[in-house]
Amino acid sequence: MRVLLVEDEAEIREPLATRLADHGYTVDSAEDGAEGLFLGREYGIDVGIVDIGLPKMSGIELISELRKLDKNFPILILTARGNWQDKVEGLEAGADDYLVKPFHVEELLARLNALLRRSGGWSQPVLSGGPVSLDTRTQTVSINDEPVELTAYEYKVLEYMMLHAGEVVSKSELTEHIYDQDWDRDSNTIEVFVRRLRKKLDPDEHYKPIETLRGRGYRFALERNL
Amino acid sequence: MMANHTRHILSIRQRLLLAATLVLGAFLGLTGLSLDKAFRSSTEEALNARLLSSVYALLAAAEEGHEGQLKMPDVLTDPRFNRPDSGLYAQVNLYPEGYRWHSGSALGQALSFSKYIAPGESESGRFKMPDREVMGLNFGVVWEDFNGRELKYVLSVAEDLEPIQEQIGTFRDTLFLWLGGAAVLLLLVQGWVLSWGLSPLREVEEALTEIESGRSDKLKGRYPKELNRLTSNINSLIQHAQARQQRYRDSLGDLAHSLKTPLAILQGIADRPGEYPHQTVCDQVVRMNQIVSHQLQRAAASGRHVLTQSIAVEPLVERLMKSLDKVYLDKGIQWHISVEPESHFFGDEGDLMELLGNLMENSCKYGKRQVAVTVTAAKSLYFCIEDDGDGIPDNQIQTVFQRGHRVDTRQPGQGIGMAVAADIVSAYGGQIEIGTSSTFGGAAVHVRFPEN
Repeated sequence: MRVLLVEDEAEIREPLATRLADHGYTVDSAEDGAEGLFLGREYGIDVGIVDIGLPKMSGIELISELRKLDKNFPILILTARGNWQDKVEGLEAGADDYLVKPFHVEELLARLNALLRRSGGWSQPVLSGGPVSLDTRTQTVSINDEPVELTAYEYKVLEYMMLHAGEVVSKSELTEHIYDQDWDRDSNTIEVFVRRLRKKLDPDEHYKPIETLRGRGYRFALERNL
Repeated sequence: MMANHTRHILSIRQRLLLAATLVLGAFLGLTGLSLDKAFRSSTEEALNARLLSSVYALLAAAEEGHEGQLKMPDVLTDPRFNRPDSGLYAQVNLYPEGYRWHSGSALGQALSFSKYIAPGESESGRFKMPDREVMGLNFGVVWEDFNGRELKYVLSVAEDLEPIQEQIGTFRDTLFLWLGGAAVLLLLVQGWVLSWGLSPLREVEEALTEIESGRSDKLKGRYPKELNRLTSNINSLIQHAQARQQRYRDSLGDLAHSLKTPLAILQGIADRPGEYPHQTVCDQVVRMNQIVSHQLQRAAASGRHVLTQSIAVEPLVERLMKSLDKVYLDKGIQWHISVEPESHFFGDEGDLMELLGNLMENSCKYGKRQVAVTVTAAKSLYFCIEDDGDGIPDNQIQTVFQRGHRVDTRQPGQGIGMAVAADIVSAYGGQIEIGTSSTFGGAAVHVRFPEN
């Protein structure tokens, strides 16, 4: 999952970026609104964390601009003052949730998780399709309640596909949302991850959870269990 | 700003005086002019009438010559016709030529304005004579002699203008003396009226100087009713500012005091590392955060005062509902909003938003799905926010209001929303109560503001 972090204070931004990366997020961080807008426009962001009080372009302006550009990824605003005027303005500009500073990183992670899930149309933290279920809180996967061991990248690929279950996800989209840098962009690696996932999730080729659509990408094909 | 400084702004006193002087000057000037004109024309009319009667007197005095022609006597009854340079002159001419007569007074100076005019007509006007200006009248007559010839005479009379001009001059001098005197007097009265009328404003100014210099803390004394609203508003602004300053001071004091305990604990932990569990540090940080947020909110609540505008409640409830809907999307909150139309809050918009935001969010957070907001404005503004959660146990009601207030309270992980709401309500002199919702079974928070 690619997260856009826009926060002007380096003491908050840098440790937070590290913590997010530890939790499997690909982090694009910006220290002002203009840079935030650039990153939000250029990259396939899954979720945004935006501080309200930013230099160059306020957080509220940044959110409005992103929404004008049809960037509809969920956004969480951070506010130091914690007053309702700020919160309501931010939410009205297009944000989806807010968090008052100072906050616990665990709280932030839980909120991001919920936002991502919501944007994929899931109302529960456990994404489940057919016999496959993926717990976004513990980052664990099980088949018919039997745990399955996945590497970090395998988990990321599956999580992304399950969040968008039923939709076609291209290889380049997967690469963009999973890797930090361009040098990793080799569609062969994605093919390798998908092949390994298929082997681990469905060794008997019984459920066929991941469908390949030639020239277009992949699709998590199992029916969502809501 | 600089442009304003360079342009001189007239004081109210200067404006009124200037306007009064201009109006008075114009009025008195026009009065003088019209009186002068009226006097002059009536004098001239009187003179004309006198000249005409002199003509009649001449005709009456005319005698017949031996052929029946007109002949003037040598001496006339009016002595002024006989005395040289008396100021009244007469002349009789036969036209086209022939008889020429002039009165004794006109000795040596012919009435040069005399000219032929048709019989029965007359003509008057001011005329220049070699050494004087006169008002003259030509009067044409026809006279039949014994032979039946019609002889055409022109009778001319003239009177010196000098005495009349002197008269007019005297009148004018008197007139302008009186009018000028009246103007000066009226201006003096005007000045006094102005300073009497404007004296309350000056008193306000002096009272404000007193306040500025710190010798007084409000506008004392009684003021006329036009200024009452202004002065009472100034007073309440001052009071408001003082109250706010006091609140800031109190908050700052409270803040400093209440931070000391957690700081002391943290100091202890820093002095002996490893002896305390990690949780103790976390607890203290949470506690300090609560204290800081609470005092910030409390200092910011602006409270009630007379000069606030009214805020429509309904759109604000609507905005908060939409915002909370986004945040609590997963819960799928079912709102029951009933806001009486025309409900208005007299105070700061931020305060109302903070109050309703905190209460409505609490209901979203602790309720299961149902949240109701009821607003009535019959006599005083009343809010009721209900939910279908577990409610607040009686024995905890006091603590939710006190959260963040006192040094020894700590409930990690719990918000200070209710305490903030209670502070805002009390800043406006209202009441807040926690009960149980009869409709939904959860908490019901009632807020009532005093009447306006």
